Amino acid sequence: MIKNAHAMSALLIAAAHIRGPHIAWAELSPIVLIAAGALIVLLVGLAGSQMVRARVVPALAVVAIAGAMGTEIWRFTYAPQTIVAGALRIDDLALIADLVCAVAALAAVLLSLRARAPRDAGHGEFHALLLFSLMGMAVLVSAQDLITLFLGLELLSIPLYVLCAAEYRREGSLEAGLKYLIIGSVGSATLVYGLALIYGATGQTGFGGIARALATHASGGLLGDPLLLTGIALVVVGFAFKASVAPFHQWTPDVYEGAPTPITAFMATATKAAAIAVFLRFFDFAVTAEHVNWAPAVAALAAVTIIVGNVGALGQGSLKRLLGYSGVAQAGYMLTGLVVGTQLGVSATMFYVVAYLMMNLGAFAVIVHQERVSGSDRMADLAGLGRRSPPLAWSLTIAMLALAGIPGTIGFIGKVQLIHALVNGGYGWLAIVLVVGAMISLGYYLRVVAAVWMTPAEGHGAAAVSGAGAGPLAGTPLGGFAPIAGGSPEADAQAETDGAGAARAGVLERLDPDPELLLVAAVFAALTIVFGVVPGPVFQFVAHAGAVLVGLR
Amino acid sequence: MSPTTWGWLVLLFPLLGTIAIGLGFRTYSRAAGVIGTAAIFLAFVCSVGALIALLGRAGAHREVVSSLWNYDASAGVDAKLQILVDPISVFMMLVVTGVSTLIHLYSTAYMRSDEGYSRYFAYLNFFVLSMLVLVTGGNFIMLIIGWAFVGAASYLLISFWYRRSTATKAGIKAFVINVLGDVGLVLGTFFIYRHTHTVSFLGSFAAAPHVFHTDSPDLVAGCLLFLVGAFAKSAQVPLHTWLPDAMEGPTPVSSLIHAATMVTAGVYLIVRLHPLFVLAPTAAEVGAIVGCMTLLIAGTIALVVTDIKRVIAYSTMSQIGYMIMGASSGAYVGALFHLMTHAFFKALLFMGAGSVIGAMAGEQSLDRMSGLRKAMPFTFICFLAGGFALSGVAPFAGWLSKDDILGYMNNRGGLYEVLGILGYAGAFLTGAYTFRLIFRTFYGEPCAEARELEHGHLAHAEVHRNPANGEEEDTGVGFPGPEHVIAEREPAMKVAMGILALLAVVGGFVEIPGVDHVLSSFLSSALSGDALAAASHQPSTGAAWIGLIIGTIVGLAGIGVAYRVYISKPGTSAALQARFAALHNFLSHKWYFDELIDVVIVRPALTLGRFAQAVLERVVISGALTGGVTGLVRSGSAAVRRAQTGLLRLYAGAVVLGLTAVVLYFLISAH
Repeated sequence: MIKNAHAMSALLIAAAHIRGPHIAWAELSPIVLIAAGALIVLLVGLAGSQMVRARVVPALAVVAIAGAMGTEIWRFTYAPQTIVAGALRIDDLALIADLVCAVAALAAVLLSLRARAPRDAGHGEFHALLLFSLMGMAVLVSAQDLITLFLGLELLSIPLYVLCAAEYRREGSLEAGLKYLIIGSVGSATLVYGLALIYGATGQTGFGGIARALATHASGGLLGDPLLLTGIALVVVGFAFKASVAPFHQWTPDVYEGAPTPITAFMATATKAAAIAVFLRFFDFAVTAEHVNWAPAVAALAAVTIIVGNVGALGQGSLKRLLGYSGVAQAGYMLTGLVVGTQLGVSATMFYVVAYLMMNLGAFAVIVHQERVSGSDRMADLAGLGRRSPPLAWSLTIAMLALAGIPGTIGFIGKVQLIHALVNGGYGWLAIVLVVGAMISLGYYLRVVAAVWMTPAEGHGAAAVSGAGAGPLAGTPLGGFAPIAGGSPEADAQAETDGAGAARAGVLERLDPDPELLLVAAVFAALTIVFGVVPGPVFQFVAHAGAVLVGLR
Repeated sequence: MSPTTWGWLVLLFPLLGTIAIGLGFRTYSRAAGVIGTAAIFLAFVCSVGALIALLGRAGAHREVVSSLWNYDASAGVDAKLQILVDPISVFMMLVVTGVSTLIHLYSTAYMRSDEGYSRYFAYLNFFVLSMLVLVTGGNFIMLIIGWAFVGAASYLLISFWYRRSTATKAGIKAFVINVLGDVGLVLGTFFIYRHTHTVSFLGSFAAAPHVFHTDSPDLVAGCLLFLVGAFAKSAQVPLHTWLPDAMEGPTPVSSLIHAATMVTAGVYLIVRLHPLFVLAPTAAEVGAIVGCMTLLIAGTIALVVTDIKRVIAYSTMSQIGYMIMGASSGAYVGALFHLMTHAFFKALLFMGAGSVIGAMAGEQSLDRMSGLRKAMPFTFICFLAGGFALSGVAPFAGWLSKDDILGYMNNRGGLYEVLGILGYAGAFLTGAYTFRLIFRTFYGEPCAEARELEHGHLAHAEVHRNPANGEEEDTGVGFPGPEHVIAEREPAMKVAMGILALLAVVGGFVEIPGVDHVLSSFLSSALSGDALAAASHQPSTGAAWIGLIIGTIVGLAGIGVAYRVYISKPGTSAALQARFAALHNFLSHKWYFDELIDVVIVRPALTLGRFAQAVLERVVISGALTGGVTGLVRSGSAAVRRAQTGLLRLYAGAVVLGLTAVVLYFLISAH
């Protein structure tokens, strides 16, 4: 008994000597808030009332995300800090990526307000999974350690596998979830293998330690060490999976098409932002000493991705598949900023990440609307959207033009920044590939625009045409795009008042977009234009992203 | 607020007006006119704000630059969204917004029954925005943007009645010639930028004396190219042929764009770039000579043209000739002064012409008009005020401003004195053609429409015909509308014309030799440092007054000739025409400029174009390049989609291949 007590007190004394790491609550607050939000949402989701589940749960999710965004914005004014015993680093790069992911999550919550997925899967579960995934992103983008990196990646991925299959009564959704799970697991396995090899080569798990090991051993041969290089190669492939970089992109169109559209929107924007951010942190900080070895490989991947993504999107009839391929191409654009390994490149990449968020969310909001109206995301169903709902049609048009990089939109500025960084960093040929890719991309982005404005709606169109007759082109539903092909503004206006009245009162009334979709579409389209004309604020936002990665040119 | 804040606001309101009307042009009906006019009026108010803010600063600090952000600051380019607020730009802002406000007001009545009412105001606001970008731009980039926008706005408005084949052709002609000017401007900028390494105005001007010596080849080339831009925009020989055709647009458009503002952009350009032109006297001489040629050629053509609007259009060319001549010679203040008074009286004359055309139910030929004086007393008085101002008779506005230019030139001596004397010959022509117009329109036996109007019935055409070629108009979209308007019955038109008539009388009093010098002292800070603007080059008060007296005598002589030909001895005109048939033919074919351009440029260009289409386009580009590339992309697309089977095992296979490739690359290429 006494012996036992002695052992006990010895243990206690020993325990007192083991000092847990200092927890920096202020820096961790976004992650904590999201985690708390996820748990609360899960519990509230148990409530019996349908009203509570369908209304309060999304509201709570929004509160949690907004709270996290608030703390992230608050942390912006502080100097970068490494916390939790070197596991996480809270700096501008992490905060920008965090904010991008949070905005994407917010949009996903709004887009799924009336969607089928949360009803099928349960509101509590759906939103909790979304929040957990967001938390994984927050961990991933601040990861300063191989272990945290892998932890964040899995925390991000596993909820997404489930969310993809959220509409579990629909075969496509299940297939998407399963495919994503299997391919994602291959990616994760590759990544963890690579991380292990890097640990083996350097003896370090912290990014700072790895960077120091490479710097000290630079002359001693670690630079060309096969173990390390194999590790880096595997990590490249692992990240490439998450960012859907060719040739590891093939899951993307399938999963994007099958997954519930709000989840696709979230994956397309947030996952990509997080993957690109961690790409930047790992390659431009931890193994930046190996730049000479990995840069050509990543440049080749970027070039292949740009070409494959853009070429693949050309013949697509499904909008979600089209955006999937477009996302592949856009990932290629973002990678180019990584390749040059300069602060300018990092800033340009983060600028593009922000731009990509704005351009894509607007487009996805329109697709959600389109799916609710016509039950599918075929491009042909867009016909006549310009007449039915001009705000959505304009949003989609702006999103498409921005993705293609038309001047006056943020997509143009983003591409100019990337090209600037590439030319400055000595990768002029990659800039040419980027421009050629953007040229090819017009081939499919403009098709969407044409489908929106230039084709009459099946069914409703006939009524409008027969009701007109003021002139040879009077009935053509060119919408706001009247000057094209000799259409006549005045005659058109007449046709609208004469003919479309009946059709509008009847069948079109039902097609009015839900207000939250309209909100998301309009806000992001407006931002795309505003920041395309006055990009100063976004520049300032991303200005320091490059500076926080010490050791960069 | 600082002058630049006001400057940005001046740009903001027309922009908002354009967007508001442009987006909602189907929903607004009458509101478009109110929104458009209000937007421009607010811009005018802000211009006054900018003026006051600028006057609150000491002379040396009256050049204020503000940029919103950099478009590109790499590789030595400093392209910024930048405005420069200095006395010159504030002066231009005031003229542009002030006259535009009145013309918008006039248009609310004049265009009332046009189907394209709100589209019209969207275009008109866009024009004002473009013009303001042009005059406030703080660097060459902004200047080029404004320059090109203005050309586009002009095209849209000339072709406004797009069902009129003559209007669309005129629009294309104007646009093509203007683009020629744009090219000149861009290339000129390049010549300057090559040496100064900056596109900002102030930076270029500061650097110019250090990198260029007098008449450096590149500087002369650059300035000549700027002159090409100025000639195209300001309708100077030989790039003037588009301006008479531009009269196809609605009459208020002719008034605003093709008389008061846009066509004076060339004058603004030369004055703005005066530090460069001073260093390139050869180029400046070319400008002065071309201006003088234009003022004479246009003056002679105006004597024989019978379309009321085209007479005024040729008169515009001629008056801009004075300004270009003055600005190129160094009479910057005189050029801008004449620009301002010309904006007043020429806008007024066009408005009066619009009213006359309304009374004639769309008819524009002088041959059909006569004796409208009693039927349209208000229009007549306005026309008289404008006519006297244009002819340079004391004490009207044009008298003081034109002789400000001529006095300077005579004082400068040499070639410039010759040009100045030719300018007096031009003034004689001005008096003659202006009063030919007035006498033929308002005097003589009243025509049928005039008699009807005296009894209170406004003429109404049953079938509207294009005054240019007699084609039937599409009243839906191709005409001011089925109803005609005259100033006598429209308060809005009356107010606009009344204000301008007043300004045509008193507008010149800001600058009377020996009495006051409001304008020259305001502009002096922007022109300081320019040897040609120095006091030693200005004529003495006595010399200026002698010039003024000669000017008014010459103008009166021209009027007297017109009086003799058209009033005291009617029929003289026909006799003269018969006697000098060859000369009349030559003049009424406008010196055969259109024919010359057709033979020298258009036909060879067409031949080249046909060759290029048959060989280059069909075979090389369409066949080999485009066909090859699209074929490649298509087959690539098919390959990518074929790889996308949806089968996981194939995806896994691709992954393994990709992974192997990446790892092998790393291991093989390591160094």
